[in-house]
Amino acid sequence: RYRYNINILPSSKCNYFFLYDGSKVKGEGDATREGICYFYPEETPLDKQELLCGQLAGAGRCVSELSASPVRILRLRRNNFAIRMKDDFFWALGCSAEVPTISACELLDQLINLFCFYNGSVRQSYQLYSQETLAARWAQYLSHLQSGSLELQHIFSCLRTIDSTNVDPLLLLKAALILQACQRCPLVLAGCILFRGRVVSTQMSPELTMKVMVHESETHTKAPSTFSSFGGVVSSTTVFLTMSELQYLQSAPVDKDFRYSHRTPHKNTSKKKTRLSRTLSDTPSTESEPSDTGSSQSPLKGSFSPHFSDSSVFSPDPLDSPPPPQPLQPPFPNGKLSPEAEEEALEESYYYSFHSNEGGVSQLHNEGDSSLFEGNSYLNGGGGGGGGGDGDAACGAVFDFRGAEESHHDTVFTKEASRGGCESVQGRQAEIPDPPPGSGASDSPEECPLVPMMLYLHRVKGLVLALLVEPHFLSDTASMEEVYHSSLASLNGLEAHLRTICPGAPDAPRPYIFAHFDCIQSTLTTNLSGRPGGAPERPFVRATSLLHSHFCNTETLQEAIIRSAGAAVYGSRSVAQETYFQQHGGSLRNSGIPNHQDSAFLLPSKARHRLLKHGVNLL
Amino acid sequence: MKCLLIASESAEVLFQWTDPEFQQNVQEQYGASQEEGHGLPAFEDSISTLFAPIIISCSTMVDRLCDSYTSFTTENNHIYVLHQFDECLYIAVNGDGEEGEGDLRRKIYVMKKMIEVMFGMVTLSSNLLRRELRPQDTEQRARLWKHLQSLLETYSQLRENDQSFLVEAVERLIHPTLCEQCIEFLERRLVQQLNGSVERAGEEVLHAFILIHTKLLAFYSSRNASSLSTSDLLTLIIMAQNMYPSNIDLDDPHPEWESNLGLPHQRHVSYPLCHPHQHLHLCVSAADKPVRGSTPVFEFVDPDVQMAEDSLQALEVPPPAPSTPRRVFLEVSLKDGLYPMMPHSMYCLPLWPGISLVMLTKIPTSAVAMSVYMFLEAFAKLEKRLSEGQEGSAASRGQPTIHDVRSKLDKFIKALGPSEIQSAQLQNVWTEFKNRAFSRGGPGFNRDLIPWCKNMKTQLCGIYRQCFLIESGKADIPQRLSPSLQERAQTMMQEKLMDWKDFLLVKSKRNITMVSYPDFPGLIHFICVDRSTGQMIAPSLNITERNTSELGKGPVAQFIKSKVWSLVSTTRRYLQKGYSTVTLRDGDFYFCYFLWFENETGYKLEAGDIPILPDDSAPIGMLAWDYYRKLLRYYSKNHQGEVVKCYELLTVHLGVIPTEIILQHCRQLASKLWEPSRNPLL
Repeated sequence: RYRYNINILPSSKCNYFFLYDGSKVKGEGDATREGICYFYPEETPLDKQELLCGQLAGAGRCVSELSASPVRILRLRRNNFAIRMKDDFFWALGCSAEVPTISACELLDQLINLFCFYNGSVRQSYQLYSQETLAARWAQYLSHLQSGSLELQHIFSCLRTIDSTNVDPLLLLKAALILQACQRCPLVLAGCILFRGRVVSTQMSPELTMKVMVHESETHTKAPSTFSSFGGVVSSTTVFLTMSELQYLQSAPVDKDFRYSHRTPHKNTSKKKTRLSRTLSDTPSTESEPSDTGSSQSPLKGSFSPHFSDSSVFSPDPLDSPPPPQPLQPPFPNGKLSPEAEEEALEESYYYSFHSNEGGVSQLHNEGDSSLFEGNSYLNGGGGGGGGGDGDAACGAVFDFRGAEESHHDTVFTKEASRGGCESVQGRQAEIPDPPPGSGASDSPEECPLVPMMLYLHRVKGLVLALLVEPHFLSDTASMEEVYHSSLASLNGLEAHLRTICPGAPDAPRPYIFAHFDCIQSTLTTNLSGRPGGAPERPFVRATSLLHSHFCNTETLQEAIIRSAGAAVYGSRSVAQETYFQQHGGSLRNSGIPNHQDSAFLLPSKARHRLLKHGVNLL
Repeated sequence: MKCLLIASESAEVLFQWTDPEFQQNVQEQYGASQEEGHGLPAFEDSISTLFAPIIISCSTMVDRLCDSYTSFTTENNHIYVLHQFDECLYIAVNGDGEEGEGDLRRKIYVMKKMIEVMFGMVTLSSNLLRRELRPQDTEQRARLWKHLQSLLETYSQLRENDQSFLVEAVERLIHPTLCEQCIEFLERRLVQQLNGSVERAGEEVLHAFILIHTKLLAFYSSRNASSLSTSDLLTLIIMAQNMYPSNIDLDDPHPEWESNLGLPHQRHVSYPLCHPHQHLHLCVSAADKPVRGSTPVFEFVDPDVQMAEDSLQALEVPPPAPSTPRRVFLEVSLKDGLYPMMPHSMYCLPLWPGISLVMLTKIPTSAVAMSVYMFLEAFAKLEKRLSEGQEGSAASRGQPTIHDVRSKLDKFIKALGPSEIQSAQLQNVWTEFKNRAFSRGGPGFNRDLIPWCKNMKTQLCGIYRQCFLIESGKADIPQRLSPSLQERAQTMMQEKLMDWKDFLLVKSKRNITMVSYPDFPGLIHFICVDRSTGQMIAPSLNITERNTSELGKGPVAQFIKSKVWSLVSTTRRYLQKGYSTVTLRDGDFYFCYFLWFENETGYKLEAGDIPILPDDSAPIGMLAWDYYRKLLRYYSKNHQGEVVKCYELLTVHLGVIPTEIILQHCRQLASKLWEPSRNPLL
């Protein structure tokens, strides 16, 4: 009965996942298999599928009746199942016992949310589509969520970002500016830029970004609408947002979103001046100035000068102020100037000029960008301009295609008034036709309604611009064209730069391992190699996983040191972050008795000192 | 909302305990599904109906997937923990957030431990145990369950309020001089006199100890006794506490026993471990249904009580005469090996409220238990080898050899013949076994013999049951220390402690206090445990109005207490995963936990690997399952020929104290508390 399992290795892989529809198995004669909507691994013999589905769902229902509450976690001796019970549906995701339960629950929620994001309500999807089609989707989402080499990524369910230590901060800034520029179109809610499956910049919450990334990372099987006029690089698909996601996007579009992907680059920029940054800053002042009407007044111009001493202009403040979604530039489609916009002219001009330097609007961007990005950018820029020209002609046809799309916009638009009191609201409402009432996609009254939106993707090789847009954006030829053209050249430039960045020589082996999780952005920084069989890293991953669970369960816990015979790991957390640190080498020999000279207790100060150069501040 | 349920595989309830909230919940649910006018069904039936799907699903999972449920958690944080021991499924439920998964699993193991102490090797046969836990006679069942329920409640209360039951180690009353005097008294006067008396009816006092509430004042074991394991000692303390509860830890500001001084303070109804005499039905095959004749006769109660039992109020039986011992089954380690669940009699003599003398005696027939155990083990090993596919001589090999067992068992059965014990059934099964296994041309040793191994085990358990669970039929020679002998022991001890009793009662509440540690500024609390001896010391942590410690009373003390309790469960979780040092900065506090090994001379040994255990492994502690004994054995592998000792230290400091100072404190405590004399320097 007593087994010593010394060498249990944590495995993050999900062992089972199934969706069982109890409503199909109500009568005595109904076979359990009727209720199995999806089962992973798919090659599991049917009788075993039936056994697991039938028993787990049955026992789960019994317990939930006794406690008058759905079951959340079900443990077997060898597998822990995260459970979701809703209506007659029963989801179960089984991981090996070493995976923290909290991570398994998060994974299951992500999976279900992903499905709903791309397909709408589960019940409705199973009415509309065949089981096979949907099985392929579950499989796709599952494999997407399980991809990634680092076990730590599964423990924290974090967003995969580009390695910002290798990327020039100005490129990150540029990406953010592209997104801001797109957001000037009132039909664009928010967006993100991804490069080879990693986030470069995002305006959305980490959860939403994660959802969007699935579509980018794998060619969605849903046959997305592509727009041939743009060389097949633009596509779209319907997605479904929850009310809270929508409200979040609409309520504080800037304060929350713009801030975070930008701050770090600013700091870094002021600290180190790489060669690239100098190039970036030098060129616009000479080349793009003549054509750039706004930039001449821009206080930011100075910041791009080689001197760069006055970094205060890069303080995040201008970015924190709401962006003016109402464009001042004439080329903007059916743009109307709201009177309020004029009142804030000072701030806006300041802001605008800053933007128009970079991924600005319309004609400006061609020159601006191409000049910024030197030789190859000219090429791309030229192509972009040309494409835009062709687009004008082809647009009509292309966008008509979208016209047939169901007019999904319903109650959503009335909620837009909540858009943070931004002056643009009136302007936007004016241009939006009254929504046809009652055409909503909200499923059933008791369910949390899902609101259909469109996901617009513009792909430039490995780079993808993903935008969440109002459904009728795609029928709004002018808007779409506008967004396309305004971002095209900048995207080309950005892609060219990101592509040339070598992955960076793997860090020289350091005498320590650390992992730093940013809870707000859901990002993970670590120097773990992620090599399979990284045996020395095992103890670290195991300790981190335990500590993470402990931090999640105990709100007041701030710091912990735990030591086994093989490793001592220090964990520290605040509201915004969790940090884990292990020192290699040194004498691990200890008697286990309290000793203040013990190296384990020096970990906090070592971590504080060592992690500074990774940009981790433990105070 | 709490519940503990034991069910058979066929969803028959073998035991249930629920608190009022859970009972109400079940009744509401069951009521909702019932037709109007039918009235509520018996509670036991409702609970069985409601849990049946889970129980049945559980056995399906075991049969078909070789896996089983270990727990459920609902969104409103109700926790269900399940554990199967042989054919008995234990389910513990909590719906009020007071217990976690670990606590519930511990409760299940403690319940199992108490059943083992009460029923001994009968627990090795699921069939017999099922009938033992669920007597056909409903009154008898109600009494048994009530007794078990009360034990469980006593345990839960101790675990929630008593530090020694929190860390599962015995707490000694720190008073070396008095302790020594008492041990001498127990040895030279008490035990010698009892064992020299003719009134002991063949019993022999092996252990005697004095309890002040739950704390040990003195413990004496006779020379030829094996040592009492910590697990057993803690269980006996629970039983003693259940018999004579001390309400002092409760938030009851007016304990009544000062008014009725001298009388045992009874709170719970106790169930004596004696069964009504009945016809024996050793064969457990389904066809053989026990037939019960007349109303059961209780030997220990007088006819008046017997009558009262027929009425409904009879469930509140008065306690048995104090002179009736309890049959307890305890582990005995002899030179030739470890014998679990050997029968003893337990005498718990109240001296004053809160102070009692406990004596454990060896009963004259205990040699039978050792033989039965030896045979059981031999058949179990044989069964294991056969089920592994070994056949013929490969299967019959082993220590002792099957031929050895054969001749011994023949002799054993022969010896049983003239006694009262009904051994015909055993003899029949044994004859059949021999025919199959040993006769020329017979099937021999192969898989077909497995059912016969099982049957032999059941028969042996049946003999054991007759010998030790059922009072011998003739009431003329009671097998116990005579009441007058017990009275004499009680009086002697009372005389000895008369002058000390008030002091002892106060001392037990303030065993040691943090005031004794002025050199440790910022230290709020600590617990130090010697796992080799199963003893702990910690400053008293009283939170009642009557007994304020330096921590004051009310919410602050309660808060510290809850922190200490949660710290213990946290560190156990880390220990389970192989971490022997833990420090935590939590709110305004800094917690430390250390586990280390020393050799006998106090030399600190290097920290070694600590096994990593699965989540559903037995709880870490010493009461239900001795984790530390296994740990020591595991660690000692690399320290052959050395006596290894294991210690634990937990501290709570104010968070503002610099870590270096905290660690210095810990180091000082660790070296000071258990210096060579083993008596804390205080």
